[in-house]
Amino acid sequence: MGAPSSHRIDRPVRALLFFLTLAIGAVVGLGLTWMTTMRGYGPTAIRAGAWEAWPKAGTEDADPYARAALARAGELPLELADGIAFVAATDDAGKPLDGRCDIRLSGTVPQARFWTLTATDERGRLIDNAAQRSGFTSPEVVWNRDGTLDVALGPRARPGNWLPTGARGRIVLTLRLYDTSVGLASRTSDAPSMPRLTTERCP
Amino acid sequence: MKRLILPIIAGLVLGGIVHLVGVLLMPYVAEQDAYSRLAAIGEINAVAEIDDPSVEGAVLPASDPAFLSAVCLYDLAEGPVKIQVPPTDDYTSISFYTRHGLPFYAINDRSAGRSLIELDLMTAKQRAAMPEDAEVTAADRLVVESPSVEGVVLIRALVRERDAREQVKARLDLARCNGAS
Repeated sequence: MGAPSSHRIDRPVRALLFFLTLAIGAVVGLGLTWMTTMRGYGPTAIRAGAWEAWPKAGTEDADPYARAALARAGELPLELADGIAFVAATDDAGKPLDGRCDIRLSGTVPQARFWTLTATDERGRLIDNAAQRSGFTSPEVVWNRDGTLDVALGPRARPGNWLPTGARGRIVLTLRLYDTSVGLASRTSDAPSMPRLTTERCP
Repeated sequence: MKRLILPIIAGLVLGGIVHLVGVLLMPYVAEQDAYSRLAAIGEINAVAEIDDPSVEGAVLPASDPAFLSAVCLYDLAEGPVKIQVPPTDDYTSISFYTRHGLPFYAINDRSAGRSLIELDLMTAKQRAAMPEDAEVTAADRLVVESPSVEGVVLIRALVRERDAREQVKARLDLARCNGAS
């Protein structure tokens, strides 16, 4: 045991170290929770090109991270028996989708009874535009003769399938497949082939 | 410096515990979760329309703007709830979630395969208490077992193109959700 004088110094130091422990615990714990529930729905994502989906989040076996992220956002997941949602925030080159640019979505869409394509801003709100169009459904889109699809995204009107992006900065695309067998893929290696996303021209 | 090692290690371990507890509790403590958003617009054991997503956002974030949606917040405490949905010409789906957002059942017009989708929603206990003959006459009705007493039924119908909106809405208006009476 130390001399009485060293005890007087020790007590405040000990209290300080104790509060340091609590502070580290709170910052690390809350920081990790914030980070892991901020973007996406946990670690079970499957990826196909620029697209990401969380099929397990829409089942009874949803993992705690998916449930936490959904509860925090106030969302109800698309049930896997109903459909599956693929989200893209970047093009195939990894560049964030910019609503001021001309972006092309091209290729094939996995087999589904219906699908819908939606453009939103990064907070998930629809984009205001004069054409009153926020997306396409599979029956209303115009297909190429060879069964592939071309959708032009951009602020200026274009012929064909044009999806206005209202000259917003960051945009997010969601492709939802309904009544499809795609959801049975639970690993990235089984992921279906999704349409390509290319940024063609930026002002 | 040496006396800082223990607090840092203890702090990291504590942080890990705080994180795990936070994630596990989130569905139960989130104040702006889907149920409370829906409770602001709907009543218990009745169908309420959900406004379409707009540039201001949506009642439920990340909902598909190509769909018209309605919700029934159910409470099985008084007995089973009967849900009736007339399918539209395109795609109609009914999804079930517990009070805390866990999806447990979904059905669409094609998998139901009939002109009026009729579902009896009940707890496992209520199902076990169903009389034998009721089970037989209920053969053409679909029984859905809810793991929780309270929850959400989301009824959604695809609008294939803008012109079809009113027609789809008229069908969706006929959806019913009734408690035992």
